[in-house]
Amino acid sequence: MLPSEKLAIAAHLHVLLRRKTGRVTDTEWMAHNAEYATEIVRFARRSAHEDGHIELVDWADKLEQAMVVGAPPGMLARRPLPQAVTGAGGLLAALVSQVDGAAEVDVPRYVRGLR
Amino acid sequence: MAVSHVAPNVPESVYAMYQLTFAVITAALIVGAVVERMRFSALLWFIGMWSVVVYAPIAHWVWEPGGWLAQKGVLDFAGGSVVHINAGVSGLVCAHVLGPRRGYGRESFEPFNLGLTMAGAGLLWVGWFGFNAGSAVAADGRAGLAMAVTHIAASAGALAWMVGEWVVRGRPSLLGLCSGLVAGLVAITPAAGFVTPSAALAIGAIAGLTCYWGATGLKRILNADDSLDVFGVHGIGGIVGALLTGVFASKTISGVHGDIAVQLLGVVAVVVYSGVMSAVLLWVTKVIVGLRVDDSSEVTGLDVTQHREHLGS
Repeated sequence: MLPSEKLAIAAHLHVLLRRKTGRVTDTEWMAHNAEYATEIVRFARRSAHEDGHIELVDWADKLEQAMVVGAPPGMLARRPLPQAVTGAGGLLAALVSQVDGAAEVDVPRYVRGLR
Repeated sequence: MAVSHVAPNVPESVYAMYQLTFAVITAALIVGAVVERMRFSALLWFIGMWSVVVYAPIAHWVWEPGGWLAQKGVLDFAGGSVVHINAGVSGLVCAHVLGPRRGYGRESFEPFNLGLTMAGAGLLWVGWFGFNAGSAVAADGRAGLAMAVTHIAASAGALAWMVGEWVVRGRPSLLGLCSGLVAGLVAITPAAGFVTPSAALAIGAIAGLTCYWGATGLKRILNADDSLDVFGVHGIGGIVGALLTGVFASKTISGVHGDIAVQLLGVVAVVVYSGVMSAVLLWVTKVIVGLRVDDSSEVTGLDVTQHREHLGS
């Protein structure tokens, strides 16, 4: 997927979130950073669930898919399917944890411990 | 005016209030293991019962001259066993029984503000003199020496943790420095009135390294969400300090002789009693009010859902 297509999806979600929830997001960062996108997807789904803004779900799904498509091949295949699709943030959260694991050879900071 | 036979040179009311500060700080330490998921009402029930059923008997065993551990010769100048091992073990049991926070092991739980951590560590460092030097129950040479060894051990602990982290992780950290100084303070606590300054240097350094392991390697083995490393720092630091008191206690300082086997007996007794009774009291608390908040309250935050207020903007 082209970066411009990711940006377009992020922009749609940005506008919807601003209108429906009042939350201001960073569009470019959302299209660029998987961790931030994960949090926005989680927030959008929660708002959709709690406040009934159904259209947020569609764009959250699109953003999640866009970030997954842009990931290096085989990255998600290493993770068992049930964990990948049912984890706290779904596919994208799984992707983020895989990316984090690949980037940091030692233990990621503040995960499973403060020190 | 009443006077306690344990502290004949101060009014009993003063000594009672002084002892109360030990009881309060011990219970407060446990809270570090249960943050962000335990119901506030459950915490109050548990801490209230724990203070009477767990803390008070152990304090009596160790500090009252007729207590069975005191009779055996266990040395604990200012609460290595009574406060730190006790709170550390209880915290570990609480963390196991409560279960981990949502997202533990997958999400990054960053410290709220490391500046506040540093400020808190500084306050602890100064406040600790009240406990350790104060345990001489006099403004005399022993109190002065207790204060000096406390300072030395805290410094050694901070440096040892920093070096350990530097070697293992490739970089030192402010949080590590703060943790190390607390580790040194914890470990010197049982030894403060019994050891020389050079022994304090060794105790602090050993504690800094072992507590670093306690809060990282051992923590992974124990697999409990002990959120603020109550066991890793206070439990391990307390055990190290108690055992090293048996090694380093000098007759030239206090006139008493240390015995590592006796110290080990004290450690085992406190670990077993504190662990078992804490588990029992958690079960009782669960029956009375339940232990954990619901999932949505945990996600929103206990400050908001339990108290309808929050820190900061």
